[in-house]
Amino acid sequence: MRKLFFYVPLVLFLLLTVFLLSGLFSDPRERESASLNRALPEFALADLMQPQQIWTPQQLHGETFLLNVWGTWCPTCNAELGYLTELRKQGVKIVGLYYELPRDPTFDAPFNLKALQQDVAQKLQQNGDPYQFNILDLERSLSLDLGVSGAPETFLVDADGIVRAHHIGDINPQVWRAKLAPLYQQWSQP
Amino acid sequence: MIVEAGQLALTFAFALSLLLAIVPLYGSFTANQRMLLLAKPLALGQFLFCLLAMLALIYAFRTNDFTVVNVAQNSSSTLPWYYQITASFGSHEGSMLLWVLMLAGWTALVAQFSRALPLLLLGRILGILGVICVGFIAFSLFMSNPFERSLPFFPVEGRDLNPLLQDFGMIMHPPTLYMGYVGFAVAFAFAIAALMGGRFDSVWARWVRPWALAAWLFLTLGIMLGSWWAYNELGWGGWWFWDPVENASFMPWLAGTALIHSLAVTEKRGTFKSWTVLLALAAFALSLVGAFLVRSGVLVSVHSFATDPGRGMYLLVFLLLVVGGSLLLYGMRMNSVRSQARYQLFSREMMLWGNNIFLLTACLIVFLGTLFPLFHKELGLGSISIGEPFFNQMFYYLTIPFALMLGLGPWVRWKQQQFTPLVKPLGLVAVAALVLALGVLASMQSVQANLALLGMLLGAWVGVSALAEVMLRMRQFGSVTQGMTKLNASHYGMTLAHIGFAVLVIGVAMTKTYTEERDVRMQEGDTATLAGYQFTLVDVYDLDGPNYGGQAAELDVRKDGRYVTHLHAEKRFYRIQRTIMTEAAVHARLSRDLYVSLGEELPGDAWALRIQVKPFVRWIWLGGLLMSLGALLALADKRYRRKTPPAIRQEVANA
Repeated sequence: MRKLFFYVPLVLFLLLTVFLLSGLFSDPRERESASLNRALPEFALADLMQPQQIWTPQQLHGETFLLNVWGTWCPTCNAELGYLTELRKQGVKIVGLYYELPRDPTFDAPFNLKALQQDVAQKLQQNGDPYQFNILDLERSLSLDLGVSGAPETFLVDADGIVRAHHIGDINPQVWRAKLAPLYQQWSQP
Repeated sequence: MIVEAGQLALTFAFALSLLLAIVPLYGSFTANQRMLLLAKPLALGQFLFCLLAMLALIYAFRTNDFTVVNVAQNSSSTLPWYYQITASFGSHEGSMLLWVLMLAGWTALVAQFSRALPLLLLGRILGILGVICVGFIAFSLFMSNPFERSLPFFPVEGRDLNPLLQDFGMIMHPPTLYMGYVGFAVAFAFAIAALMGGRFDSVWARWVRPWALAAWLFLTLGIMLGSWWAYNELGWGGWWFWDPVENASFMPWLAGTALIHSLAVTEKRGTFKSWTVLLALAAFALSLVGAFLVRSGVLVSVHSFATDPGRGMYLLVFLLLVVGGSLLLYGMRMNSVRSQARYQLFSREMMLWGNNIFLLTACLIVFLGTLFPLFHKELGLGSISIGEPFFNQMFYYLTIPFALMLGLGPWVRWKQQQFTPLVKPLGLVAVAALVLALGVLASMQSVQANLALLGMLLGAWVGVSALAEVMLRMRQFGSVTQGMTKLNASHYGMTLAHIGFAVLVIGVAMTKTYTEERDVRMQEGDTATLAGYQFTLVDVYDLDGPNYGGQAAELDVRKDGRYVTHLHAEKRFYRIQRTIMTEAAVHARLSRDLYVSLGEELPGDAWALRIQVKPFVRWIWLGGLLMSLGALLALADKRYRRKTPPAIRQEVANA
């Protein structure tokens, strides 16, 4: 028994190399989105600017739109606001899903809606406002259900509320032309 | 011409490394003394030719020889001369050559400074280092040649060095880090040679210790410099990101830290042998795994070099041969090694055993956290990512018991320690730590039950305990001055390194808790207030650097109306690479950093600025520096330079 014990590191290492080998032949950036071709998960979340307004998936039906996950804390998100605003001017409907960073109850200041609204208003004024409205995902539950791994991420949702594309990273002219515009065209056909 | 000479030099180095890998090892099994004696000149020659190759590459960079692909892609004629030199190891190919040079350098150092070692053992150690050299020189020569030409068609201007790498921290960071990574190859070679000969005892441990310490010293410095660089250059005031590549350097560090502690037990008590050998193998194996992860593109990271599956495959096969082979040898040989020492539950041995357990747990957490996304994906479970919160939380839980134990460890005797004699001094240490921690926080008017309090308490406990222990030891030798000379350098080294750890813990906890940050819109003349400091934007003007343009902002900082300092933040636009870089303005004091980075220009002649006040952030790097200094002090210990008694030499030679 004791004899075999010293082979444990070798066995573990060989196991590791198997994974490294298979990892070598797959693209680490490629990922299959779990929410693809499924209906938006159920939610009832408040509007960021008018908290008395509660949004549910059913209210979003009827028109193809982009659901853009963002936050003022995320520099890339702020950078893509300009181009998204251009898209809005071209008639693309964009809904913001505001991703609020987690707070530590002991160490962080409590959540302050007023301050956040001011912050958001300022950012949107500076960089452009692409959003029809913003849904506040304070507990990040919707983001979690959608399989959001960070911000910015954008979902293309069709008129029936089915997620048709999931883009990780910012939307710039190149990404839009090459990846999202064709899908947008395809799913906005009645 | 010079470039071809460099290529030729690298080829010669390859030939010598092949000889080094074969001749002395063969000689060691056939008892051929002439072959064994060849090891030293071969090692020195190999280093010489690697050095010539590196110099040739630097020459190509300095003369803007854009016919060399590597130069054309990573340098430009407008790049300042010092960055042209560092650009020579800024790319994958160049950094591989640097890696090879350092490996050959360590090998030459072992050859030069191991007169005390028996010839047989030295021959084997150099031979094993030769095997590793063969692997890496071949990789550099055949898989990622830094001298490749693009003749007959070549660009008239280079693509410039990645602006992220144009920083003083980047000049120092890679060479230091590589010295650390590669340095563990020496401890690895010692371990393999010992596995071959079947001899592990305190003499062996005493031989390995300085090499392990030296590698650890460089790795610590390298990681610290990298963190410092990120802080200055990435523009948002972070100092550790749990990025896969950072983790790749942290894992060998944790294993190496465990190794230098485990070696202490093996040297003093002749036990923990299987642990020590495994750690010596692991530290270098993790360096290799790190090299593979960084250069194969298996993981997504900000640090990634251009990736190529062919290179990844080569490194993986090499990894399999070197690490797999050594672990196989470990499995075959280790069961015949017995540790005979006995010790009680409360003893220095158990303390260091605990230290190893904690460090290896930490290493395992980093390992799993880094590779779990890969496992998850390759098992077909989909993509996931593991981020900062996971690591932070895990290290939060690990640090508390680790620091508590660290404060206790040095007080405990080998073999067996009675509990009662320690109660009084440690009680006093605890009280002193409590007073100190509360005192510091009270002076900042911020005594609250939070992370800062916890960090302060743990840090003060470790620091005060380390100091008190060394003072008490001095007193045991009579007067303090007498004691000062009696205690050996490695004891001071340990104390200093432990204080370094305390400083680091305090720095992390305070920075995490009390950093204040504001993003502001400012026009010239505007003042923003943060944490009692008034930042006034005096001027913003255009910059004109050698290979960049951009803007610079001048700020005056006042506190309660009194002038504190002037800050100069830049936002550079590198023309050739077309990238924007922030050069943060940092005003550093022991108690806090003022950190300003210049953001976008906003409508209405205004600028976005990010202002941060980061208390105690210096302490993080100061802690790392103290740990490295501790290692340096320990290295200076006389007993590592004492000649081995002839009797032992003879005995080892026959082993």
